[in-house]
Amino acid sequence: MTPDSEMKPLLEIKDLRVSYGNDMVLDGIDLAISRGETLAIIGESGTGKTTLGMSIMRLTEGKIRGSIIFDGKDLLTLSEDEMRRMRWNRVAMVFQNVSNVLSPVHTVLEQVAEPMVEHRLRNKDEAREKAGELLATVGLPESRFSAYPHQLSGGEQQRVLLAMALSNDPELLILDEPFSSLDVATRSELGNLLRQDNGRRARLVVTHDLDTASKLADRLAVLYGGRIIEIGNTRDVLKNPRHPYTRALIRSYPNMTAVKDLQGIKGRMTRPVSGCPFHPRCTQMIDICRRELPGLVWNQGRAVACHRGGVATILSVKQLSKNFGKVKAVDSVTLHIEAGETLALVGQSGSGKTTLAKMIIGLYQPSRGEVFFDGAKVVSRTKDFYRKVQMIFQNPGESLSHRLSVLESVMEPLEVQGIGTKEERKEKAIRVIGEVELPQTKDFILKYPHHLSGGEMQRVAIARALVLDPVLLIADEPTAFLDASTEAKILKLLLNLQENRGLSMLYITHNIAVARKVSDRIAVMLDGRIIEEGPSNQIVAAPKQAYTRRLLDAAPSLVRFETTAAD
Amino acid sequence: MHIDLKKEIKESNPGQIGVAILVLMIVLAMLAPVLGRYDPLQQSTTTLLSPSRGHWLGTNHVGQDIWSQLLYGARTSLAVGFSVGVLGLLLSILFGVSTALIGGVYDRVVMRIVDAFIIIPMVIVVILVAAYIKPSLLLLIILLSVLSWPSGARAIRAQTLSLKQSGHISASRAFGAGELYIAWRHILPDLVPILLVEFIYGVRRAVFMEAGLAFLGIGDPMVVSWGTMMHDALRFSYLDVWRWWLVPPGVALSLTIIGLTFISHAAEAVVDPRLRDEAVA
Amino acid sequence: MKAIKNNLVTYGIAFLLILALNFILPRMMPGNPLTAIYGGEAMIAMTPELKAHLIERFALDKPLWEQFGAYFLALLRGDLGFSYYYNAPALKVILGHLPWTLLLVGSSLVLSTVLGIVLGIESGWRRGTKTDRTMLAGLMSLNGFPDFFLGMVLVLIFGVMLRVFPLAGALTPYSGLSGLPLVLDVLKHMVLPVMALTLAHLAGGYLLTRNTMITVLKAPFMLTAKAKGLSEKVLKYRHAGRNSMLPVITMTGIWLGRVVTGALFVELVFAYPGVGQLTYQALLSRDYPVIQGIFLMVAISVLIANFLVDLLYPKIDPRVSHAH
Repeated sequence: MTPDSEMKPLLEIKDLRVSYGNDMVLDGIDLAISRGETLAIIGESGTGKTTLGMSIMRLTEGKIRGSIIFDGKDLLTLSEDEMRRMRWNRVAMVFQNVSNVLSPVHTVLEQVAEPMVEHRLRNKDEAREKAGELLATVGLPESRFSAYPHQLSGGEQQRVLLAMALSNDPELLILDEPFSSLDVATRSELGNLLRQDNGRRARLVVTHDLDTASKLADRLAVLYGGRIIEIGNTRDVLKNPRHPYTRALIRSYPNMTAVKDLQGIKGRMTRPVSGCPFHPRCTQMIDICRRELPGLVWNQGRAVACHRGGVATILSVKQLSKNFGKVKAVDSVTLHIEAGETLALVGQSGSGKTTLAKMIIGLYQPSRGEVFFDGAKVVSRTKDFYRKVQMIFQNPGESLSHRLSVLESVMEPLEVQGIGTKEERKEKAIRVIGEVELPQTKDFILKYPHHLSGGEMQRVAIARALVLDPVLLIADEPTAFLDASTEAKILKLLLNLQENRGLSMLYITHNIAVARKVSDRIAVMLDGRIIEEGPSNQIVAAPKQAYTRRLLDAAPSLVRFETTAAD
Repeated sequence: MHIDLKKEIKESNPGQIGVAILVLMIVLAMLAPVLGRYDPLQQSTTTLLSPSRGHWLGTNHVGQDIWSQLLYGARTSLAVGFSVGVLGLLLSILFGVSTALIGGVYDRVVMRIVDAFIIIPMVIVVILVAAYIKPSLLLLIILLSVLSWPSGARAIRAQTLSLKQSGHISASRAFGAGELYIAWRHILPDLVPILLVEFIYGVRRAVFMEAGLAFLGIGDPMVVSWGTMMHDALRFSYLDVWRWWLVPPGVALSLTIIGLTFISHAAEAVVDPRLRDEAVA
Repeated sequence: MKAIKNNLVTYGIAFLLILALNFILPRMMPGNPLTAIYGGEAMIAMTPELKAHLIERFALDKPLWEQFGAYFLALLRGDLGFSYYYNAPALKVILGHLPWTLLLVGSSLVLSTVLGIVLGIESGWRRGTKTDRTMLAGLMSLNGFPDFFLGMVLVLIFGVMLRVFPLAGALTPYSGLSGLPLVLDVLKHMVLPVMALTLAHLAGGYLLTRNTMITVLKAPFMLTAKAKGLSEKVLKYRHAGRNSMLPVITMTGIWLGRVVTGALFVELVFAYPGVGQLTYQALLSRDYPVIQGIFLMVAISVLIANFLVDLLYPKIDPRVSHAH
């Protein structure tokens, strides 16, 4: 229940569980909608969002448990006859526009008028008149009133479905994917129509489309694994998603504002037996996530269901400084990186970015300030630390020992950490070599660095960094010594690895164009200080600092990231 | 279709009953000389006898044993039924498959003729022909086959058309397979369910027709038929004889047709799996 | 429109086939075509002048195609030949018997179609339940009974044993009734034969409707209708039923053919003075003109009925008349 609603909500769903046979589609849903409010339920296909809408109207064939309280009465306790009288009069649904969703043998006017007549709200003539008004309101030309559904276009059919749902003036309107298969202009038109509609009507929008949700809804609830995992004001949730899934969803959504390349979400949706439904795909999973189901925790009108309270911060530095004599290489830098995100640190050479990276990894001692990793202050760097944080350096020719073969280089960290037997180390190393898209043949893995190309060497370096399965990867200008097409491939590789492994990344570069393509957030560094920081799309679209603007202007405008021929 | 035809029929209740009835009829027909004690066509002076030890169902108006007639009538019905069924099916396959595979003008012309045949009621045509030519059993079989193949052809053609589009047939063509090969190896096996359905329909129609025409008095007088029995018995309906003379052939005929109907119902489910009789969830 | 054009061709072919059959058969017989056309007994009654006149009229000594021309012209004039058995033009004889058959066929067709649809809707709605399975088994069994046997059973039960309905005929003979009592009398005589025909042909409409219902009930618009809170009756009939009826209407023309042939048999059982009885008599007496005339009339009526159904169908199914 939302703690800060003044009136009693119109619809309250408590611990709703719906199952089909052995398949638990909805596993404990708690929701509330007030009059005049529009709530959107976001979920990918198959998450059970349609079932939710259907359950409210008691149209599903599954087994329902829990309570659905509408204006004080639990709908699940009503007799079928009482429910029938509820339907359309008090709760109506705009169905998803599939073919044959309207009866093929009746005109659309008849079908809109029908519920008014059958529920005895109007007589036949009045109903037809009112139906005509409704159809006109939704923008259907009068010449189409006597048409049959198959004669109408998709957009026209959607309008009819909307008019039909409004015919008995219901208090709650459920819309199931109202805008799928509609063009942009029609979406915008119908969106406006809905907004101008009766202010006292509550609306539940069920969709997989973030754009629809953002245009129509006041509040947004995210559905995953049959549970609500995040809920809050639409704008807040979209701008500042707290749950890792929500964040990943927004990242993977194609829209005009995101600039980072499309990233899918690791793995596929499966229902784990226990624990948080998202844990197999989560980038910040800890032990308890496997065992216990997290509940929704409320905080000022927003709720997240996550054992870690939402997206966790994996690294943060507070007022970190490094002086070399009088020179302030790094001057009081405060930054943080969240789990599963990429922060790009952009600056020219001499801005202090590499120094900062080296302080994080422990190659330099800071003059002042603190480093926190995964919530805990980093005092000394143990082996454990290096298992979790790894670095890729600029020049692979230097960072790889010319005395070790590919296999030996990649196996080295495992040996240093004393992990596994020799056989196991070898096996793991070969696997990771495959992950960075290098050949796993005996021929190749026994080669020495001077027989490899620049791109291949950097891949080996990446493999070496990954072999310990770190959670944070620091990449210091990893493509500085590579040509443009190889650069593109390495960037693609890094993005893929991040997606597959759920890595967080600190990506250091002088090239803001590249930064924009790979990062969620950008921090601009000048003379040892962070002068600007924020979401990538915001920094690039509306930079506040003049220096940032200059960087953007100077950036190469054509950045080609297509994969050319194989390495 | 992964649905096993035999399994489908075996598991369907109506199917089982249908098969049982049909088997019974076939057995009775085959054992007619053994089970019946008289030559069914042998007339005698003991006319219109009630059922007795000597004559289980009594005798008819010319002294023939009704029980024997009943058994031999089964032979007639089943023989005509199956012959027409087979012949009609062969013709249906010939035209149904060829029109689907060849298409073009041939298809259009044959289909128009097929439709014309379907519209004209079969019985009327046979009556007309029988008025001029006294039909022997053989002629009747031929006539009925010629009149009954069109409806089967339509269904077979439709099924062949949809099979034609399927992937493995296109693949065969890519190997250079000819039309005949494709028809034999790929299309015919997949047609088996609908062929069976059409066959049963054909048999059913033929049994009905033969009995009906015999009832009208059209038919070979040398052949024993349930229809003729009912026709004769009707003339004496004012007497009590109808109990053992009229009813048994009628019941036997109806049972046979019902049995065939049940079998076809089960077979239909193979062709269209949506029709399977599922229990309510 | 294209469908109707296609069908017209079909009807044309059917019409020609019917004419051809009627024309060819007698002329295929050995011996004098006149005998073949009119029957041996008629020949006895004819005078030589009449024979000559007929030969000339029907061009029986001319080549075949000229004969066909004469034959066709005669048909157009309504000349179906002369029945020597009844001593009247064949057309008149047939028309005299026709109304009774129309009465039977019309009532049975309507009743069996409507009842079949209703039962099919109810059965399909309850698919899988005991009621459905019983109805299915029951109607399939009923379908197995030939109409004439069903007629016989009905007569025996209701006529002979229970004595509720009359045994035979269309009216009580020599009763001298008129007005309402006459109508009632006719109805009373109609009950058993119509019942026989209706019950025998019920299953066709029932099965087709039921099968269509099963598919229709799964369609999305049924869920939409349920969401609108419509009553079960409205869902069953206005939404599911209306959509399930369509295949049945298409078949009506073909089923008419079956009911007509059924009527021929049933009339025999009930000694009903319709065209069926006439056929039986004509077969016995080799009254060829009448047999030919019946064949022609029945076949062509069925043709016309099919054509009318084709015209009617688009009015019921908007998907056909207002195709995209």
